[in-house]
Amino acid sequence: MDQLVTLLKRAMPFQMVPDDTLKAIAGLAKYESHAQGDVIYHIGDYADDIYIVSSGSVQHTLGIGTQATHLDKTMRSGDVFGWAAVLENQRSRLAKTVCLERTELIRINGEDLINLFKASPALGDVVMSRFATMINKEFTLPEAVAAQVPHFTQAQATMATMATGLTLTMFRVSQWLKSPKPYLMLIGFSILLGIWYFTVEVWKLPRFEDMPGLTVVVKELFSKDPTYGLSLYTPEYYQHVWVSLRRIGIAFFLATILGVPLGLFLGWSKTFREYVFPVFETLRPIPILAWVPLAILMFSGSETPVIYLTFLASFFATALNTMLGVETIDESYSRAASCLGASKWQTFREVIVPGAMPFIFTGLQISIGVAWFSLVAGEMVSGQFGLGYVINTSYTMVRYPTIVIGMVTLGAVGYTTSAMVRMAGDYMMQWRVRELALGGR
Amino acid sequence: MTTDISHGLSATSASVSSKVNAGEITVSNVSKSYGAGLFTKEVIKDCSFTIECNKLTVMIGPSGCGKSTLIRLLAGFEKPTTGDIKLGGKPITGPGRDRLVVFQESALFPWMTTYENIMYGPRARGEDTQENRDQADYLLEKVGLTAFRKKYPPQLSGGMQRRAELARAMINNPEVMILDEPFRGLDCMSKELMWEYYAGLYEESRRTNFFVTTDIDEAIFLADRLLIMSNVPGQVRATIEVDLPRPRRLAFVFDSERANAVKMEALSLLHEEAMKSFTGGSKAAADFVEAYSRRSSKAEAG
Repeated sequence: MDQLVTLLKRAMPFQMVPDDTLKAIAGLAKYESHAQGDVIYHIGDYADDIYIVSSGSVQHTLGIGTQATHLDKTMRSGDVFGWAAVLENQRSRLAKTVCLERTELIRINGEDLINLFKASPALGDVVMSRFATMINKEFTLPEAVAAQVPHFTQAQATMATMATGLTLTMFRVSQWLKSPKPYLMLIGFSILLGIWYFTVEVWKLPRFEDMPGLTVVVKELFSKDPTYGLSLYTPEYYQHVWVSLRRIGIAFFLATILGVPLGLFLGWSKTFREYVFPVFETLRPIPILAWVPLAILMFSGSETPVIYLTFLASFFATALNTMLGVETIDESYSRAASCLGASKWQTFREVIVPGAMPFIFTGLQISIGVAWFSLVAGEMVSGQFGLGYVINTSYTMVRYPTIVIGMVTLGAVGYTTSAMVRMAGDYMMQWRVRELALGGR
Repeated sequence: MTTDISHGLSATSASVSSKVNAGEITVSNVSKSYGAGLFTKEVIKDCSFTIECNKLTVMIGPSGCGKSTLIRLLAGFEKPTTGDIKLGGKPITGPGRDRLVVFQESALFPWMTTYENIMYGPRARGEDTQENRDQADYLLEKVGLTAFRKKYPPQLSGGMQRRAELARAMINNPEVMILDEPFRGLDCMSKELMWEYYAGLYEESRRTNFFVTTDIDEAIFLADRLLIMSNVPGQVRATIEVDLPRPRRLAFVFDSERANAVKMEALSLLHEEAMKSFTGGSKAAADFVEAYSRRSSKAEAG
């Protein structure tokens, strides 16, 4: 028995195992001896037991399909083979083993071994990770094979498989905080605010003295009783934000559901493109402000013209980028799909749409940006609420700090919406996220 | 011109009267030229050969000899200018499910996992059956990608992508598989690994395979029959039966006398072709001619 324990202790996977557990393992072991030339198992045999060489030597030859760098290996006293018996999803031998001389072996049933470790999962994981290292390093098999060793502690296993968009984002955030980037960003903001503070309030440079200062704006923003009637504590502030957001929401939604299909068809069908693209290209360069009078004439009230203007800018950006996305799809994808028996419609749905997805989301990000731009333009001209309206009326009514409050709010809300679009894109394009992550981006 | 046509007809009728196998492709007197009038360039001229049923036919030839044009004709993407191509006695009119082409460039869909890519063909045809899913699992194992079934193509190495693509083609059970330099651009080690995987897949299915390459070692390792192309305009210059035993293993094949003999024979034929185009002013052939002359002078010295 002691002899067995000493032998087990020399075997790489069991080196970290305490003596009492080794005794339990030894209890599972069976002794056997073989003559020179005996084949212990062939490739493809059912893998039930693992083997440890006690004395003698065994030739271990892996099959071609295993992708090992070195196929042949001679096993001597203390070496372990037959580990296919402890792998998950692998119940057949990957190698052929032949005794090179008179050899004594001990064999341990793989399942019994795994069951033994179920009682002490932490120790089991140590042993299995040593098995994995051995398979990878000693037997030169790819990590994918080594990764098939069982895991005993459940938490780890679920963590590893949960690489969803959310955890990926969380991981990125924690990485980001560890990098110098956020601190550089803070320095950048301090420089901007510093220039503002010094030029307006300390040095009082000419033409700057009438501008609202940093401290005045901050005080106003956080004041419970603001001098000019708008701060984080007044309900009007949120009403303005909400009205703007709602207009953006409606316009962006319409622009997406109309712009993406238009872009897809423009890119996909040559004939459709001949009809539509020239018209599209003539309308697209017209600045949004030029549409204002017509928008007011066309639509009644103050709400619809603003939404229309916002929609228009978004729509062109989305449609154009989607079309470019379809054009950049490598032709070999469509060819492969048709070769594999896909119909034209299937090719459109399964190749053109997902292939254009990265460009569509780039387009949507641009689109949400220009949406804010044209929203403010629209709100300045017509409309009774909204952040653009706040800025414009504050100017005419000489409430200068409120202008800056409106601007800062626009910046913050605009940034949030475009981050949301980006996250939606990452969530929908897991493959793309991984592709970019591989490229180090 | 008239004689040409009658010659074509008689050749066709001869091939029809002989035994016609299901997966056999007969190419008879095919010519293909591009452009018109003065600018006509004849890429393939009066080319005839047979891709025998249930054999792996490898075509090798100097680069730019019209191999890829021939593939497009066989796939049905283009039509020959004259002559005809028949699959199992029926003329090829367009792309079809019976012939599957694996192209040089990887065309795995990056937005699908390895498994989804392999299942694409069956799914596109509405055959997402248990049988096909089992077949996909089996093929994944066969090409050593079981652990990578849920990975996206950009996460795979170049060799893995090529293997996944082979599996994606194989699952459709095409009568004929046509491969256009599928392992081009892989490094030497991965290439050899690909040969073994591919040979393994072929040896199991024994379906009609047509494999085009510029790599002589690849050609000899894989081929049952080796077709050697001439220079532009392309024609089949010679056919060599490669009667090496299967299953083939790398070390085993390249140590064998027979393989070396085939290689020398093929090289000397390729050399003749290269010489012809070299004297015809082709720069592309210069490297091959130089390499060949160095090789033979080394052999004499040794």
